Amino acid sequence: MFSVKPLKPTFKSYLPPVQTDVKKNIPLPIKKLEAKLLPGEIVVNEVNFVRKCISAESSQDDLWGKLICTNFKVSFISHDALPKQRSQVSHLLLGEHDIPLTCLEQVVTVNDTKGKKKVLSSNQKLKFNPTELILYCKDFRIIRFCFDEAGPESAKKVCLAIAHYSHPADPQLLFGFEYRGRQYHGSSGEQSNGTTLGRGFQTPLFDRPSEWDREIKRTGAAEWRVCSINEGYAISPSLPEYFVVPVSLADQDLKQYSDSFTDKRIPMWCWNHPNGSALVRMASITDQLQQRKIDQRICTGITKSHPQRSDVLRSDLDKALPNIQEIQSAFVKVRQICVIDPFEESEEKWLSSIESSQWLEYVRVFLKHSAEIVYLLEGKNASVILQEEGDRDLNCVVSSLVQLMLDPHYRSLIGFQSLVQKEWVMAGHRFLDRCNHLKKNDKEESPLFMLFLDCVWQMMNQYPAAFEFTETYLTVLSDSMWIPVFSTFLFNCPQQHAEHLMDFTKSKRIPLGEEKVLHFPPVWDWSQQFSLKDQTLFNNPMYVGKGASCVQNGTVKTFRRTKHKTYSSTLRGVPSALRNGLKDGHDTLTRRNSLLAQLRPDFSQMREVVESPSERFFRDWFSRPADQKGLLIPQLLPSHVTLWRLYFLRWVPEACILKGGPVTAYQKLSQLVDEIEMLQSKLRQYKGPTPASTPISSPSGPPSDQRRMYFQARTPDETPATPEYLSSSFPFTPVGNLCRRNVHGTPISKFLNGAKIWLSTETLANETL
Amino acid sequence: MEKSGSIDSLGSKRSSSRQPSVDSLSSASTSRSDRSAQAKPPSAMSSDSVATSTELSPELRVRKPACHVLRDSSKEEPQLLPNEIVQDMAKDVTYICPFIGPLRGTLTVTNYRLFFNCIDRDPAFVLDLPLGVVSRVEKIGGASSRGDVSYGLVCKDMRNLRFAHKQMDDTLRKSIFEVLMKFAFPVSNGLQIFSFEYGQVFPENGWKVYDALTEYKRQGIPNESWRITKVNDHYELCDTYPSTLVVPVNIPDEELKRVAAFRAKGRIPVLSWIHPESQATVTRCSQPMVGVNGKRSKEDEKYLQAIMDANAQSHKLFIFDARPSVNAAANKMKGGGYESEDAYQNAELVFLDIHNIHVMRESLRKLKDVVYPNIEESHWLSNLESTHWLEHIKLILAGALRIADKVESGKTSVVVHCSDGWDRTAQLTSLAMLMLDGYYRTIRGFEVLLEKEWLSFGHRFQLRIGHGDKNHTDADRSPVFIQFIDCVWQMTRQFPAAFEFNEYFLVTILDHLYSCLFGTFLCNSEQQRVKEEIPKKTVSLWSYINSQLEEFTNPLYVNYSNHVLFPVVSLRHLELWVGYYIRWNPRMRPQEPVHQRYKELLAKRAELQKRVEELQREVTNRSASSSSERAGSPTRSITPVQTFV
Repeated sequence: MFSVKPLKPTFKSYLPPVQTDVKKNIPLPIKKLEAKLLPGEIVVNEVNFVRKCISAESSQDDLWGKLICTNFKVSFISHDALPKQRSQVSHLLLGEHDIPLTCLEQVVTVNDTKGKKKVLSSNQKLKFNPTELILYCKDFRIIRFCFDEAGPESAKKVCLAIAHYSHPADPQLLFGFEYRGRQYHGSSGEQSNGTTLGRGFQTPLFDRPSEWDREIKRTGAAEWRVCSINEGYAISPSLPEYFVVPVSLADQDLKQYSDSFTDKRIPMWCWNHPNGSALVRMASITDQLQQRKIDQRICTGITKSHPQRSDVLRSDLDKALPNIQEIQSAFVKVRQICVIDPFEESEEKWLSSIESSQWLEYVRVFLKHSAEIVYLLEGKNASVILQEEGDRDLNCVVSSLVQLMLDPHYRSLIGFQSLVQKEWVMAGHRFLDRCNHLKKNDKEESPLFMLFLDCVWQMMNQYPAAFEFTETYLTVLSDSMWIPVFSTFLFNCPQQHAEHLMDFTKSKRIPLGEEKVLHFPPVWDWSQQFSLKDQTLFNNPMYVGKGASCVQNGTVKTFRRTKHKTYSSTLRGVPSALRNGLKDGHDTLTRRNSLLAQLRPDFSQMREVVESPSERFFRDWFSRPADQKGLLIPQLLPSHVTLWRLYFLRWVPEACILKGGPVTAYQKLSQLVDEIEMLQSKLRQYKGPTPASTPISSPSGPPSDQRRMYFQARTPDETPATPEYLSSSFPFTPVGNLCRRNVHGTPISKFLNGAKIWLSTETLANETL
Repeated sequence: MEKSGSIDSLGSKRSSSRQPSVDSLSSASTSRSDRSAQAKPPSAMSSDSVATSTELSPELRVRKPACHVLRDSSKEEPQLLPNEIVQDMAKDVTYICPFIGPLRGTLTVTNYRLFFNCIDRDPAFVLDLPLGVVSRVEKIGGASSRGDVSYGLVCKDMRNLRFAHKQMDDTLRKSIFEVLMKFAFPVSNGLQIFSFEYGQVFPENGWKVYDALTEYKRQGIPNESWRITKVNDHYELCDTYPSTLVVPVNIPDEELKRVAAFRAKGRIPVLSWIHPESQATVTRCSQPMVGVNGKRSKEDEKYLQAIMDANAQSHKLFIFDARPSVNAAANKMKGGGYESEDAYQNAELVFLDIHNIHVMRESLRKLKDVVYPNIEESHWLSNLESTHWLEHIKLILAGALRIADKVESGKTSVVVHCSDGWDRTAQLTSLAMLMLDGYYRTIRGFEVLLEKEWLSFGHRFQLRIGHGDKNHTDADRSPVFIQFIDCVWQMTRQFPAAFEFNEYFLVTILDHLYSCLFGTFLCNSEQQRVKEEIPKKTVSLWSYINSQLEEFTNPLYVNYSNHVLFPVVSLRHLELWVGYYIRWNPRMRPQEPVHQRYKELLAKRAELQKRVEELQREVTNRSASSSSERAGSPTRSITPVQTFV
C-alpha cells in the first residue's frame, strides 16, 4: 500500500523472530502494544522492550515500551503513564511520545560500550549495534531511547528505518500526500467534505480573485485591481495566480515587464494604508538595460494609485538586513545554547552567549526595519516598495510585520492567518526548502518563519492586549511546520503545490469524485490537531480588538481606519521646539563613563545632533498612550527585546518554574473573562433575542465546550479545590522531552540548580534532599 | 473612588511621591495624557509612570495629571509640601537633558527638592526631584567664553543631571547650586533632614505596622522551645539588635551574654522565622570570633546545639555563611571567621559565595554606566553581563533558595550569618522568609518583613545610603537594600499572582529610600531610632502607602495558603529590572499593562453583575405579580461565580 517508496522487505522479515527471542528473556509483562495509525500510515519497523529516558538525572522514571517507526512518525507506546505532570494538551494526530519524521533534525545512534556514535542519514549502514538512539528534533526536543533490553538487531533496524524515512527523496513521499489521498479511498470523497470546519477555516487563502478583492475593499485601495495574468502560472512560477497591481498598469505591460524581474516576479501589492499609501513587494530587476525604464514605469504606476500622488520610496532589504544563512546560523547557535549545552555550564556566560548568537539582534533589526517602513507609510504618507532579490524571504518577514504594526485586523486570529497566507504561502515563501523537509540541501535551510513568529511574540510581549491569540498559539503554529499533513508548510509556492497534487492524484489514481483537485487542507483548520476545548488556549483573554467580547464599558469599539489621522495631524502639530534640535542621544552619542566625560565647554553643541525624522516619529508615538487597536510600534531598545522563553525553554526541565510563570496570570485573566462572558450571556437571556444580538445562545447559557476561555470560572457550588498549579512550560511539559546526553545526575533537587554551580566548599554528596 | 477624601489630603504628598520622577518627556506625555481621560499615564521616566500606569485605577489617573495642571498654572513654582520652603530661585538656567538637549528654564531649590521648569516648551518641561537623591554636586569646568558655569548632579537613583547658568554678575550673590549643596547635604551642613519637618498627617499611622511581639505571636512564639527575652531591652546586650529577641528556651539570659561575647558586635543567633509545622527555624547572627587561633566558645556551641534541639524533626543544623569561603577565612585575621565543624557537632557549614558591599557598589556603578543615559545598541547583553549585577542577584536568590529549601523540604533548622550579619544576612533571611511564608507577600506582611529583618535588626541604612551626607565616596555606602528589592521584583516576575503588591510598590519604596521625606529609612539601628525619637518626629512611609493601598495592589494576587515559592534561579529567567533602572530613558515605555487590563475587566464584571441583578429583580417582580412560569431559569446562579477582589 505504501508503494511510492520501495519498502525494504528485509526489515519486516527479520522482525518477528528477534522479538520472540527477547520476550522469553525479559520478565516484563507482555501486553499488546499497538501503534495508533492514521489513514495511510503503515508500520515500517518496530522494536520492543525499549526504555525511553524521562529525566537526565536518574533512570527510575524511565518508561518501557515499544519503539515504532511508521511512514509518518516515530512512535513510542508504553503502558506506563508519565510519572509527573502530563502535557495538558492532547494532540489529535500525535500521541504523547510521538515525533513526526519531518520533525527530526538529527538521528544519532550510540554504542556506549564501544564508545561509538554515528549520525544516521538515509540509506546508511551501521557497523555497531546501537545501545541508544537520540533524536534531535526541530522543535528543540531531545528524545532518548535505550536498547539495553531490546533485541540488538531489531533495534538497529528501527534506527536505520527512522533515519531512512526521515529523509524522503521526493516531496510526494511526505506523509501528507498519502494521508490526504487515503481519505478519498473507500468512502469516495465523502470524507473530504465531512471534515469538521473549525473557525480557523474562515481564513481566506488568497487563492481566488474574490479574496483579493475583499482585501482591496477592506483597505480602501481604490486604485488597485486584481490581476489574473498569472492564471495557470503562465507568467511566473512562484507568484500566486491572482495578485493585485496598480489600476494604471495594463496586463500587457506587466507581461512585458515580467521578463526583467527575477523569477518573473512583478511587483505585488501587499496592503493599503488608509491615507492611501501602499505597501508593495517585488523582486529585483535582472535586466540592467531595462532597469531604469521599468523602475520608473512601476513607480509611476504606484504613484498614480496614491490619492495624493505621493512619492514612492524603496527599501532594499538585502542591503538592510541579515541574509538567510546568517539567520540560520544565529538560530542554530541559540538552539545550541538553549537546549544542547549543559544547563549549568552555560549559565555563567548566558547573556553574552545569547548575544553572540545574534538571534535577538536579528529579531530586533527586523522589527526596527519594519518600524522604519511603518514610519514611511504612516508618517511620510508615502508608498513603499520592499525590494529583495528573490522577493521570497526577507520580504515575507518585513511585509507581514509592517502590516501587523499598522493594521489591527491582522492581530485577530483570522487576520493573522490570512496575513501568513497572503505574505508567505501565496507569495511563494519556500517553505519546503527553508524547512528542509527533504533534508537535502542544508544551505537552503533557514528559519525565517520562526524569526517572524519571534518578532510577533516580541510585539505581543510588549502589547499583551493587542493580539487575539496567545503565545501558545504561536508555539503550536511553529510546531505545525513539522507535521507534514498541512499544505501550508510543504511547498515552495502555490504552483508547486498544485503541480504535486495533480501529479500525485494521477499517479496514485485517487478517486476524486466530483472534486477537481485533491483537497490538501492548510494548517488553519485547527480541529485537525486539537479539540475545541484545547483550541481555547489560543484565545487571549486580554484582547481588546474587534471580536473581543468584553471591551471596556461594554461597548465594542471597532477599529476605525481613520485613526491614523489623529496621529498624523498631531505629528504635523508638533511644536517647533520638538521639531528642531532634538538630538537623539541613543545612536549618536557614545556612552559616558563618568560625568566628567560629558564635559563640553559649549553645551549648545548638543543642538547640532539631529534626531532622524523616523526617530522623532517613534518618540512622539511613544510619548502618548498606545492604542492597542491602532498603530503599534514595538520598543526597539535592546533591553526590550527578550528571549521567547516559552518557545526556547519549554522543554528545559531546569528552566521550568513550578507553580509559576506567565501562565498563572493568564489563568486568572481567563477565569475573569469567562465569568464576564457568562454574565453577558445571562444578560442576553433576560433581554431575549434582539435583532442586534445573535440568537445563538441557548437558553441555559453556553455549554462549557463553547466557552472561549480554557480556564473557566468556578461556580459557587463547586468546591474550591486545591488550586490548579501550572508551570511556566504550560501547556507543554519538559518531562521526557529534553534528555541531554552525559548529564551527570546530581542528588540536588531540580530547583536547586541555580545554587548548584556556586557550591564552592561543600561536596555535592553532602547535599541531601 | 471611595477614598477621595484621603487622596485629597494626600494631594501635596502625592505629587511629592511622584517627584523623583518627572524628567524631560514625561511631563510632555503627562500633560498630553491629561487631555484625554482614556489616556495612559506618562510613558517612561518617572517612578510613577513605570508602574503607576499599570496600577492606577482610571479615577486616579484622571486625578493625577491634575497636579500637573496645577503646576502648569502656577508655572514657576512647585507645589510645596507642608513646611517646605523655597530657598532660592534662578531664572535662565539650562538643563542639559541627555535625551532632548538643552532646555532653558527656572530652577527652584527648596529645603526638600529641586524643581526645574521650562515653559518655553509646550507642554512645559518639568524636572522635580527630592534633594535626597543627590549623591554629589560638582562644579564642572570654569567660565567658558560665554561665561557659563556648569554643574553636574550625580544621583543615587541611576541618573545624572547637568545644569548650566550664566556666571553671576554680582559676585557676592551665591550661585543657586551652592544653596542646593547646602540643602542636599543637610547632615554635613548642620541642618535637619526634611523628614523631621514634614508634618503631613495620614489616616493611618505607619509606625504601628510592626510590633515585634505581635509578629512573633503570629509565628506561634513563645512556645515550648523558644522564648522572648527582654535581655536587650536597653540595647545592652547588642546595640544593633532590637529590644525584643527570641532565643531557645533553655538558654538563660546570663548565658546569652557569654554567647554575645563570642559573636561579632554581640549579634547572637536569634530566631527570625519558624516553620509552622516542622518547627524548623531560620536564625540569624554575626560571625563567630574564632580568630587565627581558632578560639572556641562552649556557650556558643551549646547555644547552636539548643537551636538544633528545638527542632525535633532533624538532627542536623545548617550554618549558611553568606560569604565566599576565602573572605570568611580572611576574616580570621581580624578576629572573626566561621564555625568549624569539629567544634559544632551535627552542624554543617555552607558558604554561599555572596560578595561584600564594596563589590556590590562597584557592580551597580557599572550598571549605571551601561544604562544611563543611553543604552548602546550593540553589545547590550555582554555589557550587562560585565556589570555582574544579575550574577550577584542570582547568588543572593540562590542562597535564599537553599535556605528556604533546607527549612521546607529538609525540615532542618538553619543559622545564617555573614560578617556582621546586617547586610547579606538580612538579604538572605528576608528572601527566604518571603519564599516560605505567604504572609510576607502581602503588602502589610512585606512592611513587617522590612521593619523586622532590615530595620530592627540593624541594617545600617544611614551608612549604606548616606542620607544628607556629602561624603559620596564613603566606603560604607552600598546598594544592599536595592539588591534585595531587585530580588523581590525577580520573584514577582516568576510568580505574577503570588504577591499582593505590584511593581509600583517596590519602586516607591526605593524612591523613598533616598527621598528623606519619611523617617522609615533613617538611622542605623532600632536603638538610634528610639534615641532620635524617629517615630514621634517623622512620618512613616507605611503611613503614606497604607493610606492608598489600591495603588500598590496587584490585582492578580491570589492568596494560596501554604504556598512555598521556589523561584528558578537562573539567568534564563533573571532579567534586568528595566522599569526601575531604565525608567529615565524616554524611549522606554513600560510594558503594556496587564494589571490595568485586569482592573478594567473587573470593573466590567461589576457592571455586568449589577445589570444582571437589576434584570433579575425586574423579572422576579414581574413574575411575582403575574405568577409567571418563567422565573425558573434566569434566577439560577446570578451571584458572582467567583469573587476576586
